[in-house]
Amino acid sequence: CHHGACHSEKEVLYYIKPGQIIYSPRTVVHPKARIIAEAGPIVIGEGNLIEEQAVIINSYPENITPESEVEPKTMTIGVNNVFEVGCVSQALKIGDNNVIESKADVGRNVILTSGCIIGAFCQVNTFEVIPENTVIYGSGCMRRIQTERPQPQTLQLDFLMKILPNYHHLKKTVKAGHTTS
Amino acid sequence: MCRPLPRDLYRPQVGGIRVQLTLMRSCCDVLCHQGRKGEKEVDSHYCPSCLENMPSAEAKLKKNRCANCFDCPCCMHTLSTRATNIPAPLPDDPTKTAMKKAYYLACGFCRWTSRDVGMADKSVASGGWQEPENPYTQRINKLIEYYQHLAHRERQERDRQKLARRRQCMPLAFSQHTIHVVEKYGLGTRLQRQRTGAPISSLAGLSLQQGEEKKEIFIEPAQALDEVEPLPEDFYTRPISLPEVTTLRQRLLQPDFQPADVSQLHPRHKHLLIKRSLRCRKCEHNLIKPEFNPTSIKFKIHMVAMSYIPEVRIMSIPNLRLMKESQVLLTLTNPVENITHITLSACEEEDPDDINSTAKVIVPSKELILAGKDAAAEYDELAEPQDFQDDPDVVAFRKSNKIGFFLKVIPQKEDDGDVTIALKIRHDFRNLAAPLKSSEEAGDGAVDVIWLMHHVELRLGPLAS
Repeated sequence: CHHGACHSEKEVLYYIKPGQIIYSPRTVVHPKARIIAEAGPIVIGEGNLIEEQAVIINSYPENITPESEVEPKTMTIGVNNVFEVGCVSQALKIGDNNVIESKADVGRNVILTSGCIIGAFCQVNTFEVIPENTVIYGSGCMRRIQTERPQPQTLQLDFLMKILPNYHHLKKTVKAGHTTS
Repeated sequence: MCRPLPRDLYRPQVGGIRVQLTLMRSCCDVLCHQGRKGEKEVDSHYCPSCLENMPSAEAKLKKNRCANCFDCPCCMHTLSTRATNIPAPLPDDPTKTAMKKAYYLACGFCRWTSRDVGMADKSVASGGWQEPENPYTQRINKLIEYYQHLAHRERQERDRQKLARRRQCMPLAFSQHTIHVVEKYGLGTRLQRQRTGAPISSLAGLSLQQGEEKKEIFIEPAQALDEVEPLPEDFYTRPISLPEVTTLRQRLLQPDFQPADVSQLHPRHKHLLIKRSLRCRKCEHNLIKPEFNPTSIKFKIHMVAMSYIPEVRIMSIPNLRLMKESQVLLTLTNPVENITHITLSACEEEDPDDINSTAKVIVPSKELILAGKDAAAEYDELAEPQDFQDDPDVVAFRKSNKIGFFLKVIPQKEDDGDVTIALKIRHDFRNLAAPLKSSEEAGDGAVDVIWLMHHVELRLGPLAS
């Protein structure tokens, strides 16, 4: 059984100072996902599923030029989150069991707690903390509270961890970038 | 013999054809036309998600809703059935538990589940879900019955008066000419709008025997109450939690209950969709009739103008200058399989159809001949191209059933808008749809040839600056 994060050569990971990306075990990052730590480090928890063409970016806020001194903020991502195909996430704090569906766009000032679902193609650019178990769906970004959290995708994670190495080359895991747990 | 057709029948525009899907029909050698003069009827009912076909009587019985499929009360998407395994005690041995499958409804779009409203999981995949009963169903049914009875009696009175006026010694005949008579309270004939919620008894023909006329139905009048439930005390002060309040749309989709609270939103059965057929008003023939099978997009009868009338397309437009003659290249395509002869003519001065034209048009004087559409032509290399002896001044090119021809245009008005030209196209049409004439005339093997004339308007774009 796999330990450690599984990612392949085709993926583009930028290690731009001061950012570095810290992974946890049982996280699967697909090839073609982009995790960019520009303005600070990114810490990714366990059991996350980051699908193709997803973009997780810790970027500078819009009105600040890269030359000026800004304190780097860490982006934290909790456990059992799913970043579906093509989504863009800039949220600084993401809790557990969230699902960001395909082509959704989450802004920098949004804080996702746990159990939130950002629906497909919904753009959430507000300055707020999204309460637990909220579902944002539809073209008007309607909201509702659901009574159950989304289930962690353990089956999918296990499947991918077995299958992906068969089809992609694996980089040797780099010790400095890993937390052991 | 030409019959002019209404002006909006056929109107190409710049950049491509935009022909209104109008229908042309020959019935008893009179041409009926125009979608607007046709009558749309409901042809068949089907469910959009399970694609089940239903005859109209059954649809009316089920209130135009599908029996198997449900709609999410939150986002109106189709609900899907999901299964989970729950441990349940075995019936034989209460101490042991076995995994049993439990089914619940879930929406893939807004993540609503049937557990949100408190509906218990069912042990069967389909058929276990019930819609909640309207508490006022009985009263409504009684009222409907009473009013139908009233309407029936009124109709009888009307018939009686009609017959009495005609002074015929016929027994009381119940008028069955209900197609065009507006019925009170919608007693429901096959061409009337179906009324939902009608009790099953209304489907039976409302033909009371003479003896039953005496039967009266009594209903209690509605009683007005003096006392109304007071509002709760904190109605004005309690903060509203928006996720718990239903939107107007969600509320009004369930007119029986109109719940204000999200926890009362129950799923409803999915609404059926219909396929429509179009019928000419003059001659009562069907123009468009789809197939019953919901998965089929073809038509049983499909009399569309595009498959009979030659198509005019604009191919190239030179720079148009005011009061200067320029040549526009148009193409004509023949949709039928026999040779078509086309004559173009400019509109006359006081033509009532000609409203929009801003340019003068000089049409080719000769008749244009279009070869028939031959589906096998591209595979048949040995076929000799037919020799039509085209005038090179008029015909630019010829390709199987299409020709390109020149049209001289002189813009007359200096408008900001598009240069518009109008002309009349006259072509021969073979009426293959009408029943063949009797055998005496079959000797010449001819099908009726009718000459049709259409008014065509072309928008050529703005003047070159």
